[in-house]
Amino acid sequence: MLTTLIRRELLDNLMTFRFAAAVFIMLLLVVANTIVLIKDYDRRLASYNAAVKSNHDQVLERKTYSGVSWDVVRPPNLLSIFNVGLDKRLNNEVFVFYSYVPTLWDGQKHGSTNPFLNLFSSIDIVFIFEVVLSLMALIFAYDALAGERERGTLRLVLTHPVSRGKILLAKYISAMICLLVPFLMSLLLVVILLTTSTIVSLKVDDFLRIGGIVLSSIAYLSVFYFIGMLISAVTRRTGTALMLAMFVWGFWVLVYPNVILVAINPAQPSQDRLASAFNHIEQIWEEFDRERKGFLANDSIPGEDPHFGIVGEDPHFGMIGGSGFNYEVWHKVQSTLLYTYVAGSNIEKLADEFEPQVPHVQNYYRFMIPRKIDAAERSWLVRKQALESVFVQPAMVDRIFLRFSPVGMYDAATQAWAGTDLFGLRDFYEATRKYRRTVIDYLYDTNAFGDRRWFSADKGAVDWGSFPQFSFQRSGVHINAMRALPDLLLLLMMNVILFFVIYLVFQRSEV
Amino acid sequence: MIWHIIKRELYDNLNSLRFALATALLFVLMLINAVIHIQEHPVRMQKYHDATTESLSTLRSRTDLFSIAQEGPGNLYKKPSPLYFCAEGGDIFLSDFVYGRPTIQITNNLSRFWSLHYPGAFPNSSNIRPATIKVDWGFVIGYILSLIAVLFTFDSISGERERGTLRLMLSNSVPRHTVLIGKFLGALVSISVPFALAILMNLLVISTSSNVHFGTDTWIRLLIIFFLAILYLCLFLALGLLVSSFVQNSGASLVILLLTWCTFVVFIPSTLASIASGFSNPMTYDEFYKRRIQNQKELRDEYVALLQETRGLPDKKIQLDSEYVTKGTEQEERLTHEHLTQQIAQIQLARSVTRISPVTLIQHLLEVFVGTGFERHQQFLENVHRYAREYREFVTDMDRADSDSLHIIGVREGMSKKPISSESIPTFEDTLSLSRDFNAAAINLLLLVLFFVVLSFAAYLVFVRIEV
Repeated sequence: MLTTLIRRELLDNLMTFRFAAAVFIMLLLVVANTIVLIKDYDRRLASYNAAVKSNHDQVLERKTYSGVSWDVVRPPNLLSIFNVGLDKRLNNEVFVFYSYVPTLWDGQKHGSTNPFLNLFSSIDIVFIFEVVLSLMALIFAYDALAGERERGTLRLVLTHPVSRGKILLAKYISAMICLLVPFLMSLLLVVILLTTSTIVSLKVDDFLRIGGIVLSSIAYLSVFYFIGMLISAVTRRTGTALMLAMFVWGFWVLVYPNVILVAINPAQPSQDRLASAFNHIEQIWEEFDRERKGFLANDSIPGEDPHFGIVGEDPHFGMIGGSGFNYEVWHKVQSTLLYTYVAGSNIEKLADEFEPQVPHVQNYYRFMIPRKIDAAERSWLVRKQALESVFVQPAMVDRIFLRFSPVGMYDAATQAWAGTDLFGLRDFYEATRKYRRTVIDYLYDTNAFGDRRWFSADKGAVDWGSFPQFSFQRSGVHINAMRALPDLLLLLMMNVILFFVIYLVFQRSEV
Repeated sequence: MIWHIIKRELYDNLNSLRFALATALLFVLMLINAVIHIQEHPVRMQKYHDATTESLSTLRSRTDLFSIAQEGPGNLYKKPSPLYFCAEGGDIFLSDFVYGRPTIQITNNLSRFWSLHYPGAFPNSSNIRPATIKVDWGFVIGYILSLIAVLFTFDSISGERERGTLRLMLSNSVPRHTVLIGKFLGALVSISVPFALAILMNLLVISTSSNVHFGTDTWIRLLIIFFLAILYLCLFLALGLLVSSFVQNSGASLVILLLTWCTFVVFIPSTLASIASGFSNPMTYDEFYKRRIQNQKELRDEYVALLQETRGLPDKKIQLDSEYVTKGTEQEERLTHEHLTQQIAQIQLARSVTRISPVTLIQHLLEVFVGTGFERHQQFLENVHRYAREYREFVTDMDRADSDSLHIIGVREGMSKKPISSESIPTFEDTLSLSRDFNAAAINLLLLVLFFVVLSFAAYLVFVRIEV
């Protein structure tokens, strides 16, 4: 009996105009956008490769240890084609240095060719599904029960010895099959476009992640079908059901995600928390500076780091007694709690009269750099907590509120699968911090701080051959799955609850 | 007779669920919009005020002509619009200032002159909060109002045909176009009344705040915006009537309408913009910096080569320094300007292509009359350029007026040393003019009218020829 019902429903649905329209529009939108998105990914990848290369060349040009800057670039995520999340928006280059611990607030953006392009919102494939699939699900569902009741066919069907639950199930299964056809077809086209593109190479893991996205999409689709069915079960007339369904859609898909965040908006990060943390960090660095000055007072080197009377006063035109460059900057940004002292020098030629000072300078760096690293680590502990409470927690609260709409859950789940969510981005910064530790360990191992090549390259330059390279491995699929699981479960739970509610309502309704 | 039809439509609509839902949705959105504006607007104005005061006081603190000529006017700020709540226009992605400062020091006593620099705005690059569309009038009109229009008209003809009442109506001696016009007007009135009330409520809430003052000019702009919204609404009503009379059953009519709506309102603006912006490749930042450094290097080499000849000839050295400084500044400004022009051209192409979508048209129109968005940004840049010319002319005029000066701009020794009264330095004031805005809006307005006329004519033709 069930199969007869399903067959009937299926034939009813497949022959309809709405089915053809759904297929057509989905394919059109998905194909057009995938081509644009692949092109965009290509551009970002090219810009990433260029940045990596130029950073690498820059490192090779440096001759001293202290003169080097280790710029680290975040590769674009291939699956951002599905859900762009934070991947494109946030900074993608960060300057890793021993005197501070990098976070996502310290980065900068490379490859942003035209800042005005931000005026146009970007569309990813999940967004298309979000809007069109939910709409299609509601359009298929609104007259599922109300329509049959109006036409009187429901009464006819129920004269057969068939339970009401079975009717619901048959309707659900057949409608889902109809909805999945355009969805899977368009998805297949995306995958075909991705695999035939020469730029992109999909790995097994990526296919698993795409599988996760498909799973979430099906759960999302089914939630909206159930919502439509529920509306259809509680209303008497199809006209009313349709209007309710459309307004529910408009509210949940268009209005709610945009309104809720401004409605709960704390907007301004708490200035007091930032100020107190900044004070604390300032104290740590002042303590470091006192230690440094104390050491200098006991030592007989004239001048201040990094000049020491070695390099001339005018760094641009000619040096007194030598050539090269040096720099020193205090970075202080209260809004993101960045506080550090960056200095380096690269002396290419040293005048003979300064030669006696060299051991003193070496001594100084051997003493100072480990303390600087220590100050950076200590201020990081303060900074980490403050950033967490000022920036990360409000963002988490926002995401919780977004989850009151199925769109929010779906978005969060697919972002987690694609690895473009906040956690995925934090993985990268975690990797940069690990890289910083590796570099510091390397410097300790090679005894670089006390080395002449820390500041001067006059007696041979640093060999960068064994210098640790940065590489970023995205988290494995199981981690993506763990992150996506809460939202996926929420979606599934919503499905189950909605089914039971519909079942109860339908059991008790008069035909 | 037409009154009968309109009246009947109105009664039908006012009693319906969709009317109640639409009204509730419009009111809630407009209320949220007003409350947010009351909270945010004073902060924005205060920020602008503080920034301009600071920039002005640094400008006023300069007394000698050389530092005025070299340091430049400092930061020039864009004035925020009092009607920001109507259309935010992506203003957060447009930098709200341009700076005119010297860029590099060449030697200890020789600096490049000031030139204009256009910082990009990356407000989101370290913001981890989820991105949202701002709920402004533009959103309410562009998305919600058009959706409501579609939902009010999808069954207006096909529904009556299904129920058979259309045949009944046409059996009276009513010409068909009267029926169509009656339906159109009925839907128009029943949507625009709650919309107008929601807008009034929004303005009432906003005007309770003591920080917001609307002048006559602002009220005219608001009125224009209202009529634009109504025109936009008419367009979607005409589309709804067209599809509704074309398609036999109302279910199919709704599907077509919703999919058309989705495509034109939600997808086309972004997709087409991405496609169109791929056609041009403006200079990237890397290229820009490379060229800039290249230019600087070439010029310096030239300068250093000539410097040898001026040894012991102070007059000649002043002349050379001046040439070096002026040329460098010109070069710098030309390059930045070229960079900016390329970027703007890319955006403009994308913007004009997306005008196929009515939602883009209405958004561009709103932006123009509100004074936000890209057109406004260009207007601001023009104001800045005019001011920069004025400022440079001021420097040369002051120098020319002093007979003791050597009239060699660019070097301290070559310029007038008379103190300048701080009041006489020209100051920057960003302004908006309504007549200019009309010109900028003309094409978009014409396109919107054209779409409306075509759609309603098509609806008329289809309706006249259908079998009932």
